[in-house]
Amino acid sequence: MRTAELFDNYLFGNISASDKQAFEARLQSDAEFALAFDKHKTLIESINQQEQRTHLKQILSTIHNQEYGKDAKIISIKKETFIEKHGKTFAVAASVAIVAVLGTVTLLSTGGYLLKKQSNDITDLKRDVTELKYSQDAIIEGITDASKNRIKKYAPANIEGTGFALNNKGYFITSWHMVKNADSVFVTNGSLDRASAKLITSNPQLDIAIYKIENCDALKNIIFPFSFKTNTSEIGDKIFTLGYPRRDAVYGEGALSSMTGFNNDTTMYQISIPVNPGNSGGPLMDEQGTIIGVIRGKLTSAEGTGYAIKSDLIQQTINSLENDSLKKELTLDTKKSSLRGLKRSEQVKRIQPFVFNVMVYKR
Amino acid sequence: MSKVSYTDLDFIEGLKHNNDAVLRALYKKYYNLVLKYVVNNSGSSEAAADIYQETLIVLYENVQKPTFELNCQLQTFIFSIAKRLWLKQLRGNGHLARFNEGEEDDVVDVSDEITDHLKKESDILKMNTCMDNLGEPCKTILKDFYVYKLSMDEISEKFGYTNSDNAKTQKYKCLQRLKRYFFEDK
Repeated sequence: MRTAELFDNYLFGNISASDKQAFEARLQSDAEFALAFDKHKTLIESINQQEQRTHLKQILSTIHNQEYGKDAKIISIKKETFIEKHGKTFAVAASVAIVAVLGTVTLLSTGGYLLKKQSNDITDLKRDVTELKYSQDAIIEGITDASKNRIKKYAPANIEGTGFALNNKGYFITSWHMVKNADSVFVTNGSLDRASAKLITSNPQLDIAIYKIENCDALKNIIFPFSFKTNTSEIGDKIFTLGYPRRDAVYGEGALSSMTGFNNDTTMYQISIPVNPGNSGGPLMDEQGTIIGVIRGKLTSAEGTGYAIKSDLIQQTINSLENDSLKKELTLDTKKSSLRGLKRSEQVKRIQPFVFNVMVYKR
Repeated sequence: MSKVSYTDLDFIEGLKHNNDAVLRALYKKYYNLVLKYVVNNSGSSEAAADIYQETLIVLYENVQKPTFELNCQLQTFIFSIAKRLWLKQLRGNGHLARFNEGEEDDVVDVSDEITDHLKKESDILKMNTCMDNLGEPCKTILKDFYVYKLSMDEISEKFGYTNSDNAKTQKYKCLQRLKRYFFEDK
């Protein structure tokens, strides 16, 4: 065994009582050994201090920017219906016709994020459209398969966005800002009927939440397409995403424009890709189809400036779990992407079953 | 969200246990105090934010010490550190001319804390440089192992090594290089 390994075992306590005794005796008698150990210990402590300090600095400047940052703010790109903000006044407000000219209004939410809220009229219209779509679907389905009736009506969610699977055991990731204070969370897509999901872990700092779909048998027999990038991507890399800014999946592509996010935040990339309310929590992929990040938000003051959380932080969030068996269950695939070399349309086809429309209900 | 008011002890306990909500509340509670002081003494609001954040780092690192004991009000402690740090910076810039001593402020002696902090700061800066020189994947491997306590198997998987022995060898080489940078190259 190398001396360094011996030192580590002693420092981490991975050493038997007798070996420990022998080790300490040698520290006493062998000055050279003791000196080497001292150096080793100093170095390890210094690595820890440096990481701790960097981390703390990051947290403090994040707090500062969120509380006191005057200029630009990130808008979280989740869809939020008018009902969430105004509750029972909704019916009254709906009667006010003047609002009809307003497409969207931008309001400051309690979290300090700028949220794009849809005006009540748009929401109303949308629900009509949705109902129309339901009946249309019903007709089509009726033609193709009379026995299969999956058209059910559900109450509209308070917030909708995107999430994507971490493996085919039902675990998926989405944005923390979307599911914060959620009462219940449901997911759906073309392959999966509306299924409820429960929170596994979250990291508000990184804006990451991991959920598990309770019944995902529908996905069991589909090949899991994602692999996760552990090192960082490069500026200029072509990227694409799939998300649910509306009920059907929408594809968007662009490029990685900076290695850091809002206010030089090193946990994020800046991306130039069209993202809209509802894209939050969506997967960000490189040309090979490898996951390189999670869509986070966009800048209010500049068009085409989006942000995505780097993929290695997903691993970091999983690593911080205390439950070892859960940690094992959540191990991410970091091998080369199985989508590499495929045509984009084929890549999208394969990932589609694993990208979900996430519906969040609040009390 | 309901407003919670924390006592000094709550803040200290919260810091000890890395409670984000408490840290945020603490940040908001004394920010204006430090902002006002720095701005009144030839500083910009950006400088104030830097000083305040450094102050909270000093506080945080002191709180982590098992021997830490607060002998005065938290506000006094924070203000004293911020003041010392700001004075030091002003002297460093060589313009103490427009400094208003003003009424004798409510301060305590924080010389030890400041000295400790500055010593540590220079070590950390050195480690920063060493880590940058080391580059990837060494940087992340070492941090994963020594800070985040990942097992060699996990590291091996994460970085795509064929087995954990290869990862171990890589980690060993990284550590040897870091050791050389840190102790030999000044």
